[in-house]
Amino acid sequence: MDTVETRVPVTVLTGFLGSGKTTLLNRILTENHGKKIAVIENEFGEVGIDNDLVIGAEEEIFEMNNGCICCTVRGDLIRILGHLMKRRDKFDYIMVETTGMADPGPVAQTFYVDDDMQQKLHLDAIVTLVDAKHIWEHIDDSDEAKEQVAFADVILLNKIDLVAPEDLERLEARIKGMNSMAKIYRSRDAVVEMDKILNVGGFNLDRAMEIDPKFMEPEYPFEWSGIYRLNSGTYQWVMGEGPDPAMGAALLPLANTGLAAQEATLMDAVLTFSEDEQALEAGAMMRLGKGQYNQLVLNEKGETVFKFAIQEPGHYMLFTEHHPDEFDARLCGGESLPDPLETREYKPDHEHDEEVTSVGISIPGDLQLEKLNGWLSQLLRVHGLDIFRMKGVLSVQGWDERFVFQGVHMLFDGRPDRPWGNELRHNKMIFIGRNLDRAALENGFRECLAS
Amino acid sequence: MMQRKARSKPARPALKAMWRANIDDHPIGLAWSPDGRNLAVAGVSGPITLFDGAQGEVRHKLSGHGLDTMAISWHRDSRLLASVGQDGKVRLWDAGTGTQRSEMAGGASWVERVAFSPVGDWLVSAAGRKLRLWNSSGELIREYPDANSTITDIKWRHDGKQFAISAYNGVVLYDPAEAEPLRRFEWQGSTLSLEWSPDGKYIATGDQDSTVHFWIVDTGKDLQMWGYETKVLELAWSFNGRYLATGGGTQVVIWDCSGKGPADTRPMMLEKHQHLIKHLQFQRQGMLLASGGNEGLLAIWRVKKKKPVLLADAMFRAPIASLAWSPDDRRIAVSDESGTLSIAAVQRM
Repeated sequence: MDTVETRVPVTVLTGFLGSGKTTLLNRILTENHGKKIAVIENEFGEVGIDNDLVIGAEEEIFEMNNGCICCTVRGDLIRILGHLMKRRDKFDYIMVETTGMADPGPVAQTFYVDDDMQQKLHLDAIVTLVDAKHIWEHIDDSDEAKEQVAFADVILLNKIDLVAPEDLERLEARIKGMNSMAKIYRSRDAVVEMDKILNVGGFNLDRAMEIDPKFMEPEYPFEWSGIYRLNSGTYQWVMGEGPDPAMGAALLPLANTGLAAQEATLMDAVLTFSEDEQALEAGAMMRLGKGQYNQLVLNEKGETVFKFAIQEPGHYMLFTEHHPDEFDARLCGGESLPDPLETREYKPDHEHDEEVTSVGISIPGDLQLEKLNGWLSQLLRVHGLDIFRMKGVLSVQGWDERFVFQGVHMLFDGRPDRPWGNELRHNKMIFIGRNLDRAALENGFRECLAS
Repeated sequence: MMQRKARSKPARPALKAMWRANIDDHPIGLAWSPDGRNLAVAGVSGPITLFDGAQGEVRHKLSGHGLDTMAISWHRDSRLLASVGQDGKVRLWDAGTGTQRSEMAGGASWVERVAFSPVGDWLVSAAGRKLRLWNSSGELIREYPDANSTITDIKWRHDGKQFAISAYNGVVLYDPAEAEPLRRFEWQGSTLSLEWSPDGKYIATGDQDSTVHFWIVDTGKDLQMWGYETKVLELAWSFNGRYLATGGGTQVVIWDCSGKGPADTRPMMLEKHQHLIKHLQFQRQGMLLASGGNEGLLAIWRVKKKKPVLLADAMFRAPIASLAWSPDDRRIAVSDESGTLSIAAVQRM
């Protein structure tokens, strides 16, 4: 079994115009890292820089007629890399820069569909540079920007000196909602340690899972909750202007502040947020209790005040769709300004970006290979266009080694790696894509378990 | 006990090494001069070595292209060798003196293809989408409008009256005397290589999507052969036009094109290679087929109806980089990626 990687690693660098790709490339080429690097850029000409080489490529994308409707590859890369690998002076590393508006799909797929590429090269990571200031202009309506974020193994939030810390937090949360697998770094002038972007083994799922502890946590339809002790009386929930014209909220009684009671109320809140919303204008009374999902509609300008009345004194838990800070929201009334006893933040749900999300699945047990193959091929046949990337570390029945696999759209490649040894056999899998159905993916995956 | 059986049959022909050399580079091109006196070997790093075909002495070392050489082609008179490379140039070399005769601009930084006409005095070069027609004095006869995408192959019809190019989207045919293309065979796919059948009636193409196309030149109709393991670059017609040998995997796949053609037939599959086949070439006037694979295996087959036979094989240290039958079909030149060059005769014993 060939588990030693002898293939030359390739990093694909994506990012919009102005995100800092050229700065980063120059940094990589001038940094004294002792590696011999070949860079494939989108300009003409071939330039040798000391040991390194820069080759200009004209992006030539073509479709494959292999029954895979979304399969496009970069013909120019196949040719250029093919020639490069024949040279005696072998390169330690290859970087491929894509144009600003590029969909990373074709580049990534190139390494899967061509045997010469697969034999001699391996895609180490897709690194996406994000201009922290200007990304907001694209992230909502540019498919390319979304895809570049979604495809990435590593995301570099660049130009952080140009944005406020809270905007950066918001951006990072937003990006994590789209791609929970990527490792995110922040940089100015594209300054980043080379080992963060080169030879990162982007497909190392273990690492991706370690990075984000919230990764496997269920997604909630709200981002924040606060526990209040409230006496009977009328209260005002005051909200300023925020990123959205309206926000969902629910106020539920809490039996006590113990964890079990909190969990019970949390489940009630999830159910409540799935009810039909009741739109409330300024000054209206919010409804309390399970099933009462309030949609707080804000005034166009200035603050908006909503009210609610407490009959039974006790503990209450307020759930809000967004973090109250985003709206400078606060509770007033009673004798004083009631502060929450306890607050909790939840991993943002993909409601910010219903389109592009990650779905992580983690279940113990052994999978049956035929079932898995059958399910995956069916899944990819139907949803291959929408599934940008997949990665998994799987426990396959009858195999002593971990089965590691990764894919781009409909193409995937799996191989056994190290033995499980004493490690608990477990399956971890992640999908990143558009309009993913978490429940269906989870059920489908579960069906592949050996009974 | 095997011996007795062997004695009852004629002994297998063997490959007899005639001479060997090493160019200490990855050989990217291997071409016999049409008179068989010179063997040109281009290394990927640039230099081109001209060996004496019979004995193996180095006649000349041409500087080639400063950056990688990509292809070479002999003029039919055997006195001129054309080369192209990543310096953006087409160069013409005098094989007698080993000096450069002409240097022309290919039109883009990587000039990947070059082909002298087998009849007449034409030279075609391709650099990216740029297609240029020259004469043997290095004069530009014509620059064609850019192709749709990078030109992947150029092949002359055997009578030298037409040539065909392949690119993404299929094949285009040209008459060197005319500026406009004669025909286009369109195909929504990336065509990587092409071969004319000896009578010029068919063009076979190998494609990135693991298919082989078989174009009927007169009608523009095509057949598609699929089921290959990988992309197909390796195509070889037998001299009588009956068989088309194709690679695209670990088996040599041979289509019988006689009668109604290969439609709805099952090809012959030759098994011997352990790794992907990278090179295939039929003799010019005989039925021996040479195949070279990534595991370093060279195999010589006699192709005949029903059951081709393996005549001889030899193992090289590195993947086979190129192979070429001598013009008289008696010898085969083979190189591997380590730079070993071996010239062997196929002997009947």
